Amino acid sequence: MVATGIRTSDLTARARVKGFCSRELGPAEINSVLRDMKFGKRLKEQIEETLPAWRDEFLSYKDLKQLVKLIPEAQPCSKVEAEFIELLNFEIDKLNAFFVGREEEFIIRQRHLQEMVKRVAEMYQARGREEEYAKEMSRIRKEIVNLHGEMVLLENYSSINYIGLAKILKKYDKRSGRLLRLLFIEKILKQPFFTTDLISKLVKECESMIDLVFPSESDHQQLKPEDKRKLVGEEQSIFRSTVVALVTMQEMRKGSSTYGQFSLPPLSLPDNLLQSLQPTPIPIP
Amino acid sequence: MVNYDSNSLLNTFLIWMLKTDRSSLKPPFRADYYSSYCSYTIQTMHRWKEMETRLALPAGKVTIEQLCKSGNSGVMPSSLPQLPITVEERFLELPDSHQIPVDEMGNPLVSPYSSYVANTGNVQTLHSSPSGSSSVHQYPPRLPHERHTNANNTAINAGNSLSTYSSHKGAFQASTNNFSKDPVEVTWSLDSVQGILNSDDDITGSNPIQSSSVMITHDLSNQKEWWNNIENEDWKELLSDMTAVESQPKVVYPAAQTSQNISVLHSQTYQSVPCHSGDLTVVTSPLSTTTAAAVKPRMRWTPELHECFVNAVNQLGGGEKATPKGVLKLMKVEGLTIYHVKSHLQKYRTAHYSSDSSEGTSEKKATQSEEFPALDLKKGFDLTEALRLQMEVQKRLHEQLEIQRNLQLRIEEQGKYLQIMFEKQCKSTMDKLHVPSTAEEPLSASSDLPTHMTIRTDSSIDPKKAEESFKQVVTKRKMPEVDPSSPRDTDAIISTTSSSAKCSRAEDDEL
Repeated sequence: MVATGIRTSDLTARARVKGFCSRELGPAEINSVLRDMKFGKRLKEQIEETLPAWRDEFLSYKDLKQLVKLIPEAQPCSKVEAEFIELLNFEIDKLNAFFVGREEEFIIRQRHLQEMVKRVAEMYQARGREEEYAKEMSRIRKEIVNLHGEMVLLENYSSINYIGLAKILKKYDKRSGRLLRLLFIEKILKQPFFTTDLISKLVKECESMIDLVFPSESDHQQLKPEDKRKLVGEEQSIFRSTVVALVTMQEMRKGSSTYGQFSLPPLSLPDNLLQSLQPTPIPIP
Repeated sequence: MVNYDSNSLLNTFLIWMLKTDRSSLKPPFRADYYSSYCSYTIQTMHRWKEMETRLALPAGKVTIEQLCKSGNSGVMPSSLPQLPITVEERFLELPDSHQIPVDEMGNPLVSPYSSYVANTGNVQTLHSSPSGSSSVHQYPPRLPHERHTNANNTAINAGNSLSTYSSHKGAFQASTNNFSKDPVEVTWSLDSVQGILNSDDDITGSNPIQSSSVMITHDLSNQKEWWNNIENEDWKELLSDMTAVESQPKVVYPAAQTSQNISVLHSQTYQSVPCHSGDLTVVTSPLSTTTAAAVKPRMRWTPELHECFVNAVNQLGGGEKATPKGVLKLMKVEGLTIYHVKSHLQKYRTAHYSSDSSEGTSEKKATQSEEFPALDLKKGFDLTEALRLQMEVQKRLHEQLEIQRNLQLRIEEQGKYLQIMFEKQCKSTMDKLHVPSTAEEPLSASSDLPTHMTIRTDSSIDPKKAEESFKQVVTKRKMPEVDPSSPRDTDAIISTTSSSAKCSRAEDDEL
């Protein structure tokens, strides 16, 4: 199983760098390289695959990491450390700002869609104008699903930035010998960008809205596999972003060399939903 | 580059003082945070030293190295009576505290600050330090070029800096809870405040506070008078901050948008703001009681608040006709400013008025499609089915994210708990200076821990060593849980959570 969006040529190059042999990689080897992939790279991929408007809003993991590398070992009152903490706080502020802004937007959109559903039902369905009703509903359905997708992507945004922060703090602690991590994590756990309860609630409301407006399951036909893959292949779509997010999550939790008490266990996805969406290993432009 | 402008810090504090409603201040200062502040001050002093070096000030000043060293070697605060307390420390106030630093440090709390103030040239009156902190008075004299700091800049700095204090309050409480005995840790925990303050100094570009803050016209010469007044007041009053809602997450950060912001504190439940009641308020920080204009923190909207907003808008004839001012008046929500309403109204219009205008190609739809063209109609495609599939994936991702988040919370909780346990044991080890037999029990009580993996305390008089072994223990402890070959482990997730429960229970028993 190969993660979407990652060119096999890239993987091969990476594998070469890591000391694997130079022949073409098979799927198993690709997976092993993926497993060893550092968080920074994964984050970069997530950012590339995410919605364009969001690209600049993620944690500046690379910058933070570079600062950590500059920290002189076992020295008190280092200026670099101060800069690191400063950047850290700036980043947290940035994450909060983006998150809260989006959250506000979702609140507005969700309520608007709820209104629309009611209105369309009144205007068309109640008056027997079935065709117009169907047309409007179809449009609304799409908007609801997209809203749902964006909200879930925001949750993913929160999660991935949190993981990045946790990792960078771990690196900092290791490098400087201090114990900043626990302290900062506690603070981070309370930050707006990590307190996703409202978004979670909105997502659930959205899901119940979906259940209302979608036709019953009985008359639907499954999508053909190639159609499914076409969906995933579409660039810069919400759908693609969510698939990539799921795959990335799975990969990130497969296990790492620096496993510690704060690491997450592997992801367990009960069904083969992802498998059915994975494209065959061909480069995706 | 970080701007360690002590003058701007002073102004920050002064402006805050002027605009804070004193009656809302509470006694916050706790003695056990004192060591933190001391260490933090060491950091500040170090920065001042840098300034000194840069500007080649005369000798006879406090030797920062000495203070730094003593601070880092774990010397208790009582041995450092001459530390100037900086502006930042004022903001480290935490809730539910009833002691003031005066107890620990006597009056030096006041006088070193005043000496700092004096040295910055704003206040002419020097208040003598009862504890004889004469060395402090030689602290970096006010530098001429700093005197002419742009009032706007300082105000912006003030606004910027202020806001971040609240967000880090939680951090400090946590830090002092965990690390009050360990100066090194405390030092660095407090450094973040400094970091925050300084980082915000640079983030002034698009700050709307410039344009609208009434407090920005703060006259530096008034500081002297104010300072005199402060002297006589109960320090308890002064040493307060956004304390009441410390446990709630605060949204605090530099404003990147044009809207003016105040802090709206949210607990995990949402504030319900029925418009009709008229007197229900959005929770705000004490900072924003008087003039919201100068306060940075951003507001967090809720569905209920939005409902209130929509009602007001509808009353005024709809999104197009409604004005921010009108909506604000109708909503009658305390703490809400026109800037919040304005930006919210803008977002509201974007969401509504593109799609409502026509049924066919709407502006909003077009922009949305450009941004995220999800599932364009392709030939032979059933849109509904495609949507269903999309929905399924999204639901799955959402599910997994929730699980992951809960795990993360639990892991962190557990980690913190273990850390506290470890510190307790460390302390008792050092106290008793012998191998305590109890040290091994808490960790081995958990059935997930192999019996040989316990902290060896006989060699752990040295805290650092003990810490290493602690880390080893918890690392090893974690590993077996996820190792598929482990007989105890069937489902990684379940075992993680159950072992956390077990461990917590075991440790509870020990306590």
